[in-house]
Amino acid sequence: MTRLNLVLLGVLLVSSFALVSLQYESRRLYVANERARSQAVQLAAEYDRLVAQQRALAAPARVQQLAQRQLQMRPAHPAITEYVALPQGGGTP
Amino acid sequence: MSARLGRAAARSIPYGSSPLLASATPVWRSRFIVAGLALAFAGLAARAAYVQVIGNDFFQRQGEVRYARTLELPASRGRVLDRNGEILATSVVAQSVWADPEDVDLNHPRLAEAARLLQMSLSELRRRLDVGERNFVWIKRQVDDPVARRVQALGIKGIYLRPEYKRQYPHGEAVAHVVGFTNVEDRGQEGVELAFERELSGRPGSRRVIKDRLGRIVEDVRDIVPPVDGRDLQLSIDAKVQFFAYHRLKEAVQQHRARGGSVVVLDALTGEVLALANYPSYDPNDRRRLGGDQLRNAALTDSFEPGSTMKPFVAALALDSGLARPDTPIHTAPGRLQMAGFTISDVHPYGVLTVEQVIQKSSNVGTVKLAMQMQPRDLWEAYTRAGFGHRPEVPFPGATSGRLRPYKTWRPIEQATMSYGYGLSTSLLQLAQAYTVFARDGERVPVTLLRRDTPVAGVRVYRPETARAVRHMLQLAAGPGGTAQLAQTAGYSVGGKTGTARKQEGRGYAARKYRAFFVGLAPVEQPRVVIAVMVDEPNNGVIYGGAVAAPVFSDVAQQTLRLLGVPPDMSVQPRIVAEALPEEPV
Repeated sequence: MTRLNLVLLGVLLVSSFALVSLQYESRRLYVANERARSQAVQLAAEYDRLVAQQRALAAPARVQQLAQRQLQMRPAHPAITEYVALPQGGGTP
Repeated sequence: MSARLGRAAARSIPYGSSPLLASATPVWRSRFIVAGLALAFAGLAARAAYVQVIGNDFFQRQGEVRYARTLELPASRGRVLDRNGEILATSVVAQSVWADPEDVDLNHPRLAEAARLLQMSLSELRRRLDVGERNFVWIKRQVDDPVARRVQALGIKGIYLRPEYKRQYPHGEAVAHVVGFTNVEDRGQEGVELAFERELSGRPGSRRVIKDRLGRIVEDVRDIVPPVDGRDLQLSIDAKVQFFAYHRLKEAVQQHRARGGSVVVLDALTGEVLALANYPSYDPNDRRRLGGDQLRNAALTDSFEPGSTMKPFVAALALDSGLARPDTPIHTAPGRLQMAGFTISDVHPYGVLTVEQVIQKSSNVGTVKLAMQMQPRDLWEAYTRAGFGHRPEVPFPGATSGRLRPYKTWRPIEQATMSYGYGLSTSLLQLAQAYTVFARDGERVPVTLLRRDTPVAGVRVYRPETARAVRHMLQLAAGPGGTAQLAQTAGYSVGGKTGTARKQEGRGYAARKYRAFFVGLAPVEQPRVVIAVMVDEPNNGVIYGGAVAAPVFSDVAQQTLRLLGVPPDMSVQPRIVAEALPEEPV
């Protein structure tokens, strides 16, 4: 009887320690997960910011200015365009 | 041990004969103790019941306050896109810098560095921090993320960051009036941002969490309510057309030293607004020095007398009601007409003009003679069905309806002046929309600022033959002998009508203040675009719509049609010079 009780006590202790350490582990992982999540949010925000910046750099106003100033380009118009008639039924060659 | 006990027991007095028992203790004393204990237990039970049942909510809440926190999950505002998916407005995370003034050391050595990063003077920063008893004060809102991180890295105690959303407008001033802007709280204040506030703004979510002693989140208490992000909004605007139109308008306004100007480009098939620009404009990313004039979306909110651009509607009604044919002659000599004490005159006196030529040469006398044969009610109905006098369908803040008085109050002289565009008013968008009547074989198309892919049904105003005949007149007006030869553009046939209207000032007309207009369509046979241009107070010698506004139309029409992929309908003398290489002997 006593022996059984001692075994059960041992099992109880082991299980209690396991519970405590698992709880601790679970919280630790949760914190890590939280940190990763907030990093993800921050990176997503950074991505949005960079996309916006990229679009601002590719805005027609800037592109036209650079094309005219640095590359001496000018807008196309029909007088300097050669129109090619595509054969019937085919879009791409 | 038992022997010792035995000895003691033997020595003691038998229990029953204890003298203590012999003395008669009063019964009430034991009862009093029992009752006292019972009462104490009852008290505990009552308290337990109170805590567990009656006041449970309160205690539960008090407990949670000490470890649980509700976090708001911000929803990001929807983006505003152009018809091809270009970003016109987007939200990015920016940091707002705030401080707890009680914690900040005003003589901190790195405070000057912080002030420099935040682009403010040290004295101003100190003034902001010196607010007495408060423990929260904004120092600067919506600072760029990298800058804010450097401020944080200075490690000044009591200065903190708080993430917020900031709106960015990559296309800047070219689309400023259409897109509008939001305030620091991310709420729409102007333009599309205000008109579509409900669609664009999201609904923030929330989560309830348990935080530990270090402020780290260790557990979720209940399910997360996810934030609902705002919807992206796809406008009908084409950023390239918009930019070109804005740019060309700006050039014209500066060239003619005008006060300002507007341009509207409509897709005649779908009624979509491809471009809507005003000059002067502003940069929505930096709104520190903004005045009222710059902010106004003049093409929508300002109404003005449209002048000669109204004449085609009179001619169309004359054709439609069988009053005249395109070749019906009208006597306009000597270029003046007396009416109720007023003189209506033409810029140049003409003799006999056909209805076609009246539009081509923009004769006031000829138009008035046509209009005076009509019933006021018919003219009013034609104008109303073309969209004058009521608000266009666009849900834009401050869009004007213009003014068209009920026909019952018209005096004959008013009917006469209204036929050439005085005595009624319209916005530039209304005027452009009205011209879709001619572009679409007699139907007025409902306009929209949102992308619409399919052609829509319009409101019939004139018969298709009438619209085609008027289109021919408009083509003549933009051709040799017309008032708007500068509207011509290489590769595409164009038609349109000029207008030059004196500006109203107080009760009369200003002496030398004009508005120059041109409204046109292209290509003439199957119009794809309707473009309206207005230049306010050109002040550099030339004032006429044909000289000031028509060239803007010409360039914008050309670029727009090219960007839309409309093939040229006129043969062009090619100017491609293939450089001939000297032949080399093989």
